Amino acid sequence: MTEKKKGKLTKVLDYLKHDDPFSKGVSFCPGCSLELLLRFIPQVLGNDIVITGTPSCSAPVLLGQNNQSWHTLSYFGTLMTGAAANATGLVRYYKKAGIKNTVVCFNGDGTAADIGFGNLSGAAERNEPFIYICYDNEGYMNTGIQKSGTTPFGASTTTTPFGSASKGKNLRRMNLGLKMAMSKIPYAATATLSDLDDLAKKLLKAKEAKKRGFAFLHVFAPCPTGWGYATENTIEVCRRAVKTNYFPLWEAVNGKIRMTKTVKKPQPVSTYTELIKKFAHLNEADLKILQDDIDYEYCMLGGLSVLESECQLPVSSED
Amino acid sequence: MKPKADVKTKAGSQIKVITGNAAAAIGAKLARPDVVAAYPITPQTEIIEQISKFHADGEMDCELITVEGENSAMNAVMAASLAGGRVFTASSSWGLVFMYDAILATAGARAPVVMVNVNRETPGIIAVSSGQQDMISTRDAGWIFLIAEDCQEVLDLVLQAYRLAEDYDIQVPVMVHYDGFYLSYLSEGVNVPLQEDVDRFLSVLNDQPQRTRLLPGGKLGCGTHGILGGYLELRYKHVSALERSKAKFEEIDKEFHQIFGRSYGGQIEEYRMDDADVVLVGSGSMCGTIKAVIDEKREAGVKAGLLKIRMYRPFPSEAMVAALAGKKAIGVVDRSLCFGFKGGPIYTELKSLEIQLGGSKMISFIDGIANTDITKANVEQMIDTTCDLAAGKDVREVTWVSYPEAREPDSEKTGGL
Repeated sequence: MTEKKKGKLTKVLDYLKHDDPFSKGVSFCPGCSLELLLRFIPQVLGNDIVITGTPSCSAPVLLGQNNQSWHTLSYFGTLMTGAAANATGLVRYYKKAGIKNTVVCFNGDGTAADIGFGNLSGAAERNEPFIYICYDNEGYMNTGIQKSGTTPFGASTTTTPFGSASKGKNLRRMNLGLKMAMSKIPYAATATLSDLDDLAKKLLKAKEAKKRGFAFLHVFAPCPTGWGYATENTIEVCRRAVKTNYFPLWEAVNGKIRMTKTVKKPQPVSTYTELIKKFAHLNEADLKILQDDIDYEYCMLGGLSVLESECQLPVSSED
Repeated sequence: MKPKADVKTKAGSQIKVITGNAAAAIGAKLARPDVVAAYPITPQTEIIEQISKFHADGEMDCELITVEGENSAMNAVMAASLAGGRVFTASSSWGLVFMYDAILATAGARAPVVMVNVNRETPGIIAVSSGQQDMISTRDAGWIFLIAEDCQEVLDLVLQAYRLAEDYDIQVPVMVHYDGFYLSYLSEGVNVPLQEDVDRFLSVLNDQPQRTRLLPGGKLGCGTHGILGGYLELRYKHVSALERSKAKFEEIDKEFHQIFGRSYGGQIEEYRMDDADVVLVGSGSMCGTIKAVIDEKREAGVKAGLLKIRMYRPFPSEAMVAALAGKKAIGVVDRSLCFGFKGGPIYTELKSLEIQLGGSKMISFIDGIANTDITKANVEQMIDTTCDLAAGKDVREVTWVSYPEAREPDSEKTGGL
């Protein structure tokens, strides 16, 4: 479907082997990173995926209304509390019935890091053969910008508002991707929308890895409405998150981490936060706390990437 | 315990002395589910242990998901059911309420899940003891609820539950309840049917149209937003299916009898009801004791009978009216509370049929809560009180049988708890 053109663009388009199953106009906010991500996934993985989604920003488009739908994918509107368990039930039945499948369990960070973390963790422990994608917009955006486990230090949300007695969220963020990598699953990776070829490769690797079990993608998905940045800056926010190591790109096979993009001279986090209103109240001392957290997490990744062995699972004879 | 079978054990089927939990596990195994989700909780644990052993020994060809909590158990079997599978899970009490949102979603999605709930008191007061409060806590979820009296009925109801849940005209999840501790750990003789007979009994479902399945590339959505009329349509169809399930359950009971030789009467079982003046309405394991006391009372010339509720949701209103209309007095035995009402839940619901019952008087007995035994003496007291009511004597509307300190819940007392 794509003509060979020069440079990187062609490289990305080469991954889009399948149709876009979504309606041309959908009801996301202007500048939403989620739309690009949702359209991208089935174009890379195929239109025969079964996608599950919860009440969240994705729901107005993914779940449809009554008998009307924005897309032609098989999908299942699940509960936030049990999304990974729903996906588990699907893949286990398909396995029993001999039905070839790619189940994509697609959730926001509220489901993945907070209310549904227990069953995400359980599915990883049982090594269930499906792809879990967390699109991380660092909070409960659909309900009106509330704090979640992945909301970073200093971010002002409606439940951690900036005020005379508060700097916004006064806690560090949960590193969900790293947690899942530590589950020693066949595949875990981070990705974002400024690096689409990296995302595409990781989607395909996840599809391959699910033959061996659980695959997890942690996708940084900024939100212009909730974070307060210009709608045209979505990709730039992603880019700067990578360049500051705020959101480093890596993958982990059986728990062993490898950087997929190394930033030679990481920029200070202020080059990222300056674009975003939710950080606008932070002073230098506050930014230092955020920077320290980023440096600490990056240091952990570095340590884990020099491990000498990976943790192999016994290969099932049925595969 | 009671003569139910009018034919002898079929050739090849076996009488085994097993617990209620084992009967449930064997029932599930005989139904050949595709996917089973397992998570332990007292007093249900033995079911999933036995299924796990069947699975480990290669006797049960299912996907066994050892989930990390009950909420996931229900979510997993709901999804597997929507994909087209036959599923099973079991829980109790705290576990049942931990899966509550998924229980609601399963009913809303019309996923024909079959599960067993071994009745136990719910959170509120920690109590590792029997009681139907968990059943009451989930009764408005939109499921079909069946209640077993003994271990044989546990096994038989699990099989009947699949016929009911997966019937093309019903497609509503079914929960089989039985009393924790009293039946879960009670060993008694159970006629374990032949696999080929169970296969034959369930094969009716194979001849029905294929229900909608969520399949890769199938372009089907489950769990869309229900908006206005769309929402109303689904709810109306759900309520209608529940109404249809009453007659369907009666049919299934008859077919079950033809194959296995055991019949239970469908939605309700009537015991010595024909000429009864006073009736106790009960459910579950208490009914054996009630029948024994009724037999004794009959010897003494008291015309007492029992109406046993087997199908609790949908509420068997028509069958109950037909059986109870014109009786002088009715005592309803509840093994749970109906917070906000003085009387028990089943009593409160039966009161809504007072006009149809043509003036039968009713009283509420609350007993068997938190493992307080519903003894023969207790039942005798209930029958005597109901007789007093029939005779026009002044009796309390609500009696906590095992807690004689209780008057009717006191609205005048003040000061602290």
